[in-house]
Amino acid sequence: MSQSIHIEIDRLEGTLLRILGLVERRGFHIDGLELYDLGEDTRGLTLTLRPRDATRSFDTLGFQIDKLYGIRRVPAPQATPVAAEAQKISA
Amino acid sequence: MATNKPTGAQLVISTLKALGVDVLFGYPGGAIMPIYDALAGSGLRHILVRHEQGAAFAADSYARATGRVGVCMATSGPGATNLITGIANAYMDSIPMVCITGQVGTHLLGTDGFQEVDFLGLTLPIVKHSWLVRDASQIPAIIAKAFAIAKEGRPGPVLVDIPKDVAASFVDSSDMGELSAYVPPAPNAEAIDAARALIEQAKKPLLYIGGGVHMADADQEMRDFVERTGIPLVATLKGLGTVPTTHDLALGMLGMHGTRAGNIAVQETDLLIAVGARFDDRATGKLSAFAPHAKVIHFDIDHAEIHKNRRADVGIIGDLKLALPALQPKMPDISEWVKFNKANKWQHRFKYDAPGKGIYAPALLKYMSEVAADKFIVACDVGQHQMWVAQHCEFAQNKAHITSGGSGAMGYGLPAGVGAKLALPDHHVVTVSGDGSFMMNIQEMATLRRYGINLKIVLLDNSSLGLVRQWQELFYEENYSEIDLSDNPDFVEVAKAFGLSAFRITQRHEVEGAVDRLLAADAPTLLHVLIDPRENVWPLVPPGASNAEMMEERWDEPIDSY
Repeated sequence: MSQSIHIEIDRLEGTLLRILGLVERRGFHIDGLELYDLGEDTRGLTLTLRPRDATRSFDTLGFQIDKLYGIRRVPAPQATPVAAEAQKISA
Repeated sequence: MATNKPTGAQLVISTLKALGVDVLFGYPGGAIMPIYDALAGSGLRHILVRHEQGAAFAADSYARATGRVGVCMATSGPGATNLITGIANAYMDSIPMVCITGQVGTHLLGTDGFQEVDFLGLTLPIVKHSWLVRDASQIPAIIAKAFAIAKEGRPGPVLVDIPKDVAASFVDSSDMGELSAYVPPAPNAEAIDAARALIEQAKKPLLYIGGGVHMADADQEMRDFVERTGIPLVATLKGLGTVPTTHDLALGMLGMHGTRAGNIAVQETDLLIAVGARFDDRATGKLSAFAPHAKVIHFDIDHAEIHKNRRADVGIIGDLKLALPALQPKMPDISEWVKFNKANKWQHRFKYDAPGKGIYAPALLKYMSEVAADKFIVACDVGQHQMWVAQHCEFAQNKAHITSGGSGAMGYGLPAGVGAKLALPDHHVVTVSGDGSFMMNIQEMATLRRYGINLKIVLLDNSSLGLVRQWQELFYEENYSEIDLSDNPDFVEVAKAFGLSAFRITQRHEVEGAVDRLLAADAPTLLHVLIDPRENVWPLVPPGASNAEMMEERWDEPIDSY
């Protein structure tokens, strides 16, 4: 069962790696990744995730992401003109 | 070039001083030379360890002993990677620490330069946050922020990686900026009410106290809660001493090497109140069989811990200093439950009359903690001796038990003793180690001599990797594989070569005199204790089993001298 998580991230060195590493270490496959501009200092990131086993909780993962600095979860994808031109990467 | 402008390196030092740092642990090298150049004559006390891992462990221990942020420094490449075990250790045990590392110059980044390693990348999973500094003017603000992050909420290690050219560059203007004071979240009143209702309905409530209580500086609030509710308690390895281990309601440690009374209580309770504990696998055993009859109240500052391993009926996120006093239940009659637990505690108490004449390590440790009393601080290594310390020493306060919990890092004990003794010079700080662990950071005896650090060392030597040997005996059909350390050096002679006092005991009747002599010594001293290699840690919950399935001690052979 896949689920998407939407995140705003500061444009800082290591931020993207910090998120992707956390997600994989905490037991989730990254099935999709979309990165898009939200402004000069901020980027949007949508991750499509699938747990490796039934014990992995999206809720817990969300709280673990919330603990990272320079990163904010947002409740829904932001459909913006910028997002339409987003760079898409299949993972 | 003469200038009045500070360098990035000078800003590192001035910022550390402005933040109140009084001691830091480190080891210089190429890429961090500008910072060591600024350090000289700065008035900041630097402890030159003999291996960077020792710096990280000492800083970790200093933080545990003081409640402040520990600081360590190392150069790029191998200097930095040698810190990694210590950083991971601090991360696993939520210890506030700031690590400052040198890095190759920015023009060399990504070129496989000499002593270049992507340290920011290597440490991402084991830090709360990290920076690779590219603008020297940001150094004060970044270091100040690093200290704030290390300490706030659930504490942890933070990395500041500084390229050599950034440290060497001159800065026109820079300051720490304004940091808003961290205010821990207040607990939700509805959750407190829900917890109160559960306690008032419970017949067999049990407190499960973790290291988070002390990290929140809520030891007194925890003790007050125990006194006003009369609820029995078990503690994790890191939670020992938050309520004195001699307390009438304290049932000892739970889990793999927990007490039988403690594990019985967990299996029987109908309401488990977890306070600053994280349902770690060493505490829970088989998770599905852990506290099988219990509803759960879970207090934690970290939202991500609630429901992570065990579903909580009530989760209370926030400052324990507020949450515990806010919880004022009208206690139901739990006298039968208390009586049941006290009876178990008495029936399953540890015994110290082991047969034979050889030294029984648990008895030595118990005696030492009783003699040193309120001034006792143990900096423990990892192995059988670590579990014996947790089981048999009495702790009047949480910070008296400095141990590598989540990480279980052999080699922690000696540098941790360095950090603890510098932090608490008027205490009896004792490193308890084993012959396997001690060899992993043995070089730090040189640090003891250099600075005259009056640390005491109890080295329990069974000439083997005892805990591994025990598991091979019990779970691998006595197929002993690579656990023999019978070719150890003469530890007394080694210690003397480092300039320490040292002596050895081999017989049980020597124990009390030796411990008294050790504690009274006015210089760093090693007590080498030969113990039976066949001695095991009991009780033991087999890996993957329920805490109800405890294996017990068999004293079918006398303990003779070795």
